Amino acid sequence: MMISQLLPFFVITPVLIAVFLYVFFSLKIVRIIAITVQAAFMIPAGWLLMSARETDVLVSVGDYDGLLGIILRADLLAAVFVFLTVFIFLMVGIYTYQTPYDRTKRLYLFLIFLLEGVLIGLFLTRDFFNIFVLVEVSTVVVTILLMYDRTRRNMFAGMMFLMVNIVVMQMYLFGLGYLYMLTGVMDMEGASVVIATMDSNQLALPYALIMTSIASKCSLLPMITWLPKVNSLTGSRFTIAAIMSGLHIKAGVYLFMRFQDVFGDIGMDFFLVIGVVTAVAGVILALSQTEIRLLLAYSTIAQVGLIIVGLNLDYEYSRVGSLFHIVNHSLFKVALFLCASQISYLYQTKNIQKIRGAFKQTPLIAVANIIAILGIVGAPLFNGSISKYFLVYGADGPLEWIIILINLGTILVFVKYATIFFGKPLTKVREEETLVSDTNRRGVVFALGAMCIVLGIGGVQAIYFLFDVPVTLTFGGYMEKIGIFFVSVIIAVLLYKYVLAKRTFLSKLNGLNLSFQKICVSIGIFFAILLVYIGVFYG
Amino acid sequence: MTTEILLIFWIITAIWIVLAKKTYRVMIFFGVFSLITSVIYLFLGAPDVAMAEAGISAFTTIFFIVCIEKYYSRGGGLKAEMETDAKPKNHFKVIPALLFTIGLCVLFVFFAPVQPEYIVNELRDQYLLMFMSDVGGFNAVTAIYLGYRVYDTLFEALLLVIAVVAVVHLSWFDQNKVSDGRHSEVEQSRMTKFAMRIICPVILLFGMYLVLNGHISAGGGFLGGLAFAGFVICRFLVLGVYDLPIEKAMKLEELVFINIIILPILAIFTGVIYIAWDARELFQNIYLIAMNALVGLKVAFGFFVLFYRYIAIERLPDEGEIDVVEFTDEGEDIR
Amino acid sequence: MIGYIGGIHVLEIFPIILFFISFFGIITSRNIVKSIVCIILMQTAVILFWLGLGARISNLPPIFEYGTYIDDPSMIADPLPQALMLTAIIIGVAVTAINITVLNALFRKYKTVEWEPMQAQAFEDEKPEM
Repeated sequence: MMISQLLPFFVITPVLIAVFLYVFFSLKIVRIIAITVQAAFMIPAGWLLMSARETDVLVSVGDYDGLLGIILRADLLAAVFVFLTVFIFLMVGIYTYQTPYDRTKRLYLFLIFLLEGVLIGLFLTRDFFNIFVLVEVSTVVVTILLMYDRTRRNMFAGMMFLMVNIVVMQMYLFGLGYLYMLTGVMDMEGASVVIATMDSNQLALPYALIMTSIASKCSLLPMITWLPKVNSLTGSRFTIAAIMSGLHIKAGVYLFMRFQDVFGDIGMDFFLVIGVVTAVAGVILALSQTEIRLLLAYSTIAQVGLIIVGLNLDYEYSRVGSLFHIVNHSLFKVALFLCASQISYLYQTKNIQKIRGAFKQTPLIAVANIIAILGIVGAPLFNGSISKYFLVYGADGPLEWIIILINLGTILVFVKYATIFFGKPLTKVREEETLVSDTNRRGVVFALGAMCIVLGIGGVQAIYFLFDVPVTLTFGGYMEKIGIFFVSVIIAVLLYKYVLAKRTFLSKLNGLNLSFQKICVSIGIFFAILLVYIGVFYG
Repeated sequence: MTTEILLIFWIITAIWIVLAKKTYRVMIFFGVFSLITSVIYLFLGAPDVAMAEAGISAFTTIFFIVCIEKYYSRGGGLKAEMETDAKPKNHFKVIPALLFTIGLCVLFVFFAPVQPEYIVNELRDQYLLMFMSDVGGFNAVTAIYLGYRVYDTLFEALLLVIAVVAVVHLSWFDQNKVSDGRHSEVEQSRMTKFAMRIICPVILLFGMYLVLNGHISAGGGFLGGLAFAGFVICRFLVLGVYDLPIEKAMKLEELVFINIIILPILAIFTGVIYIAWDARELFQNIYLIAMNALVGLKVAFGFFVLFYRYIAIERLPDEGEIDVVEFTDEGEDIR
Repeated sequence: MIGYIGGIHVLEIFPIILFFISFFGIITSRNIVKSIVCIILMQTAVILFWLGLGARISNLPPIFEYGTYIDDPSMIADPLPQALMLTAIIIGVAVTAINITVLNALFRKYKTVEWEPMQAQAFEDEKPEM
């Protein structure tokens, strides 16, 4: 059997298994089956990756002629994302393997498997309406995961998440209607062929409608103040926050890339600016947090802004650097969340200012955590440095300095974060268990940390393997970046010690809350600006 | 001309809904609005969508009215609707909101693309010319829904399953049993009972007709399922027959959903329909009818569970009863 | 059939108006039930727009009798938007059901269905531990 015939099963199998597990098996067997399936799923995912390196894997579900059916297509990018999804879910699965059972563990596994299937589906599909359906399913699944603990603040945030996302998806569907009116097809490749022959002033409205919804999905500017809160604060489980930050937002970025391709890269300047502003705002908001998950979530926003900047620089190296940064960011952000989970469990608090001396308490976890931090700040020899090196390649003049400043901000955030490793514990600390369960957890974070180092040392080869783009790393350029990095670290440490640690002016930003109506209005304003920009400059 | 007049009424009803201050009025206008909507759909040549809209809006309106009834009338509920013009912190005042909306609307219309004349809708022609041989049946909408785009339909069915699971998980009551006398608070006159005894079998018959004819006329599995659900709910509410416990209904729904996934895999993804070339038409009809029946059953069970939760179980806790069980992270293993 | 008004089709202008009426409703409503209803209105607007796309030339339903031979498919309404919108309607009702359930649960916890008091309490809850 050809792998193209198996493509729909990459999506259907997790869904089917989810329902099977939910209906049939007893709790003890469920977790064994779940972990086995997740591990075994690495094999077809790897096979898909290897096949996609040779040629695109393409199938029309049900073997219908032409554009009649739904077309799934795994090019190399999609295959990389599928592999990443399967890998991250396996890691999270191993991490939560020993978590004690409550009545709803079965529900948790059900939702996790569904989310895995739906995300893979989003990466594989090439059908506009199928994307709509899958995004709706993923929204609902994530909503339930957020409200999993049924505390009232979770449920309120979950309801906001659901309602805002429905409004946003209606905009997407409206834009899709215009796209269907103009092109007469529902398939991405078919649509982009027609769009290439079209006046771009016709495209302003569908582009603005669709891109507003996609931008909200990857939490760009209008959603920035509340989406990280929803993603991380709600749902007391760190693993959910890890999946949200590590993968779910990346699905939005992936859709962003696909739709930019379809529309032929109009509006790149606009999103360049939006990316920069998002990154700066993300850094500032991250600095103002004291909650460990919120800090990590806002730093995700900053990195997503950086990725959007790289994607819109219109330069091959920058694009590849951004893609590589997505992969890297998934790895170290999940590692960071899982380490934070372990540390926060030992200290029984989520407040950074109350956690001190973590290095002595749990040295192994702390080492993995520091590796992940070095990855995210772009320390030499770690994966973040390679991706950031290529990401800024296309930037010149003031933009380069802005990106360096953003990276300085990221370093500052993690200097603040790193204070948890030093000093003496302020509160009573739980004894670290020496059971198998903790070995699992350490193994997972170490595997992720090892990936950071491997992808850092073999970065150029990894980029060639994953994205099929030969890149060269000049020694002088890299040395320059290393120099900038060390200067940034020194500045950041000094800045933190003498300015930030003593003042609390940033903590006022903490109480920034938008109501549902204001979020809708801000989405409306974003839409209007995008529409006018595209209509006037490309019309 | 009829359509234009209906559209104008449609807009007027929508304005009523938006401007109404009392929630009850919103619901009444919403009922009218849905009715007009489904008639418009019918005039646009979409009988399937019109019937689905009509069926669903009936259910949605009832859900809403039951909820509002719970909010306002029971003990511990809201005393009266807030009608004072408190200084808006969250929502916007009418005039700025109106200006903003009109501005957006003008921008939207200004940049709206014109439909190009050179596009002959090839996809439509292909679907219409080929669906009878590709998928079978005489209803092009069903052919697309269950044939060409069955992959979408799977996820849509999945979403209904998730919705049922979510509703059961998020409702406050963890027990699924209903104590006696609680499950139905509808006043049961002998008249209603008598009428329902006659109407119930008719509803069931109508549902079966819709499911069996889904591939050759308007209707289909979803509508048939709504009719089945209506049948079960009527029996439960009016006649008090309670022979389908909620756990059983949920489990049945999930089992049917597994079948909904497996049947297209066997028939379409692996191409059994194409292999059996000689008896192709027969296979296609069997597939379409089976699919419609499965979708119908799933929708019936799903809506039954939803309805049951809303009407019978969802209520305010009495004195001394426990409220929602919350899982908090205090002292629990959150890793 | 229905025609154009100033370059824009009637079946396009009415959904746009409804879309923005419901947007207006969303940003001004103080009641969550009303917000949910306005979101349903928004969905209806988009669905009507899609169906209107398929019915601009002809509104003959794409359902045939036994033995029909279709000689001119352009005189029949487009079946694709109808099938897609069937899916969208069912998705809409599933999401609405979840929304109402969550609202029920929130009502029991906050004792209100208005945005104003509920958000005030919720933001109070959201403050991180110090």
